[in-house]
Amino acid sequence: MLKTNLSILAVVIGCLGVFTWVANAIPQIQSDVPEDLVLSDDVSPEELIAAGEELYNGGGGCTACHGLGERAPNLLTDHAGTGLIGERCANRVAGEDCKQYLHTSMVDPNAYLVEGFAPIMLDASRTLSSVQIWALVAYLQSLGGEVTVTGADFADDGGAAAAGGVVASAPAAPVLGPTGPLDPEELLTRHTCATCHAVTGQSPLGPSYEGMGSRLTADEIRTSILDPTASAAEGFEEMLGIMPPIFGNIPAAELEAIVQFIASQR
Amino acid sequence: MRPGVEITSERNVPKPGMTWRSGAGPILLLGALALLVMAEPAFAQVPAGRDYGDFPVIGGRAAVWIAAQVHLLFAAFVLGVPMFAVVTEAIGMFGGDERYDKLSKEFTRLLLVAYSATAIWGGILLFLLVTIYPTLFSYLAQIFNLSMWIYVGLFFFESFTLYLYYYGWDRWKKGRAKWFHWGLGIALNVWGTIVMFIANGWLTYMMSPPADVTVDTAPQMVQLWSALTNATWMPINIHRLIANVVFGGAVVGAYAAYRFLAAKSDEERAHYDWMGYVGNMIAIGALIVLPFAGYWLGREIYEFNQQMGITMMGGFMSWLWIIQAFLIGVLFLAGNYYLWVGMGRIPGAERFMPYTKYMLAVLIVGVIVWATPNTMIASREEFAAMGGTHHPFLSVLGLMSGKNTAVNFMILTTFLSFLLYRRANKEPVVPWARTGTIVQGAIFVVASAIVLFYGIYGYMVPTIVRIGFSVYQVLTVLACIIGVITIDLLMLRGATSRGEIQWGRMPERSQYALFILAVTFTWLMGLMGFARSGIRQHWHVFEVIRDTSPWAATPALGYSSVVISACVLIFFGLVAFIFWLGSLAEKPVISSVGQASAAGGIQSELQPAPSEG
Repeated sequence: MLKTNLSILAVVIGCLGVFTWVANAIPQIQSDVPEDLVLSDDVSPEELIAAGEELYNGGGGCTACHGLGERAPNLLTDHAGTGLIGERCANRVAGEDCKQYLHTSMVDPNAYLVEGFAPIMLDASRTLSSVQIWALVAYLQSLGGEVTVTGADFADDGGAAAAGGVVASAPAAPVLGPTGPLDPEELLTRHTCATCHAVTGQSPLGPSYEGMGSRLTADEIRTSILDPTASAAEGFEEMLGIMPPIFGNIPAAELEAIVQFIASQR
Repeated sequence: MRPGVEITSERNVPKPGMTWRSGAGPILLLGALALLVMAEPAFAQVPAGRDYGDFPVIGGRAAVWIAAQVHLLFAAFVLGVPMFAVVTEAIGMFGGDERYDKLSKEFTRLLLVAYSATAIWGGILLFLLVTIYPTLFSYLAQIFNLSMWIYVGLFFFESFTLYLYYYGWDRWKKGRAKWFHWGLGIALNVWGTIVMFIANGWLTYMMSPPADVTVDTAPQMVQLWSALTNATWMPINIHRLIANVVFGGAVVGAYAAYRFLAAKSDEERAHYDWMGYVGNMIAIGALIVLPFAGYWLGREIYEFNQQMGITMMGGFMSWLWIIQAFLIGVLFLAGNYYLWVGMGRIPGAERFMPYTKYMLAVLIVGVIVWATPNTMIASREEFAAMGGTHHPFLSVLGLMSGKNTAVNFMILTTFLSFLLYRRANKEPVVPWARTGTIVQGAIFVVASAIVLFYGIYGYMVPTIVRIGFSVYQVLTVLACIIGVITIDLLMLRGATSRGEIQWGRMPERSQYALFILAVTFTWLMGLMGFARSGIRQHWHVFEVIRDTSPWAATPALGYSSVVISACVLIFFGLVAFIFWLGSLAEKPVISSVGQASAAGGIQSELQPAPSEG
């Protein structure tokens, strides 16, 4: 029986060995994460091109479609006799220069669909930051054309070009937690809470936040915001139903900042 | 698309204390582990820097990966086996053949010992998730809390239904009690299926969240039903249901093969030969319809997000499908080999043996086409020699149209093998037997022509249309299978026998084919699990929650294959151990197939032998 057991073990190990060997013998391609870009607002064209090229061939995932010329135009070579992308971009749409055309093609990819290709590309801003998109534009411009992207484009595009530099990551990155300090009072104004609720003193319509933290827990405050019809504060029973149930739209981090702020009002 | 977010929903708004007053105490007690985490709002109370934990040596991701994969393998086994255990029990009940009842009980015995391993690995997975991905788990728990409670409740019911089903086997053996017992088997399947559907909702949400769930959507705002019933939920459900049967059949086949090789008597050998045959037929039979669900899933992925589909089929994962083709090639070859060798124990089968070489040729050509890559990673000189980035001839075969056509021909060929095996020792007596055979042949020809037509036409249409063609091709093959088997069933009614199947008279090498099938199925499950999970790339929840862990990059196939092999090794090591433990406690009942066969053989297949009546 020992011989049988060893034979079975050899078959199992042999199968696993062959499968593992085959999987290691093929080209090894890892799907990289688009790396955060740290660019100063006086970034040089060379830096932009280098960043764009890395994204194009790596984490940007561009080559899945644009590298072959089947699913999407091949941007690295000539397309239908119109030249490289850096050459042809300025001639694609009347009134749009190369930079505008390339940028629009990424954030609104169906705007200028190239003939013969299906509208399969999604808005690049869903996964890439403004800076990353501009770096890609610069790289594509460099392929046969002149790079006109500058650090000013980030600022124009709302890229938060703070003095000294821009740290850009994909827009979704902060979801796992608030990445910066939030001003609760500013949020109360922005989300129109302050229209009815005062932080201190008499409120215009609803209960004041003053002392609310000593009466309600953070959970109860959150519930009251998300489901304002669930209960009414003492003395405001007749107001039940006036507060609209629309505050679920508030981004989670901002909602939590508001909740914690109100809970701290004791 | 159903809305995934509701502005205000009582269901989504946590009301302190409500859950503990709403009854279902035992269920909540069972879900205490999950509650520990779910009670915490994700964003406010998870300290910064604790988004991810770690695990020594192999890292957090690999630890969770292995736990999830091994848990899933055991879960697939305990979900797949009850499906055919109930069917074989029904065959025994309605056909009056007690062998099937005993076989069903033996299936269930395997189930019993595997069940606790499933729960243990589920617990390991839960703890690893909570400690390594606490923020992500908390996010998911806030969305799926209710379904998690239902999940553990059903797990409770499932466990005790299984105990009743197995331990009540001999007590509820006759009359109405037997119906009750069979009902328990059905209930076991119902609980298990719902449990799987719920868990599938969690993982498919991560893959294809509703369109209106965005980066800014608070988890409390995501509607539970909408999150569960996302775009890829039902395709995954169906795909896994079928795949579980395939997997269960393969593992049962491997178990039977081991017992065959270890058998000390002819009776035992005959019994386990028969059991291995049944396990293999279940696995291969279900495998044939599995591509339907696979194509549907692929189509839904493309419709959910074209880029995700492209990443899966043509992006960094494109080479994965070459490996898949290789593995399925192994499955088809091993499965057919087992059938062809098995024909050696059937009198009359020799008249079909000359055809096997042609079938082998079709299978090999099919595997070669299927394993042809579309694009080549090559040097500049090689590109120049090819005249471009694509090989002038081979790249044509590498497109989905060529691959689908190849695999459908492989399915048709395997079905033909089964048909010849089934018919080997039978002589039809109906007057229209010749006409029936001609019609069957015509169905094969027409089906092949349709498959070929769509295969060629697929080169002339866009990708999204081409994917749709794959459904037509598989539907054609399924129609062929149903049509031909229906004719066969009618035609072989009352058929005379050319001789009885000599169960147990099977060369030992055939049993190793069953081991290869089981290991390959298991490895394939690991690979496809990596594909399903990996197409999210650096997202925990696709385009909603980004993976910012040190392991966010999706690894290449080489590394993945090592992890998958480790999972398969762990699984089979544990399976061997718990089956051995099971054998210590109770000796299996050797059915009459063994005794009869040893005494001269009997004729038997999945249904009671027609020639005997």
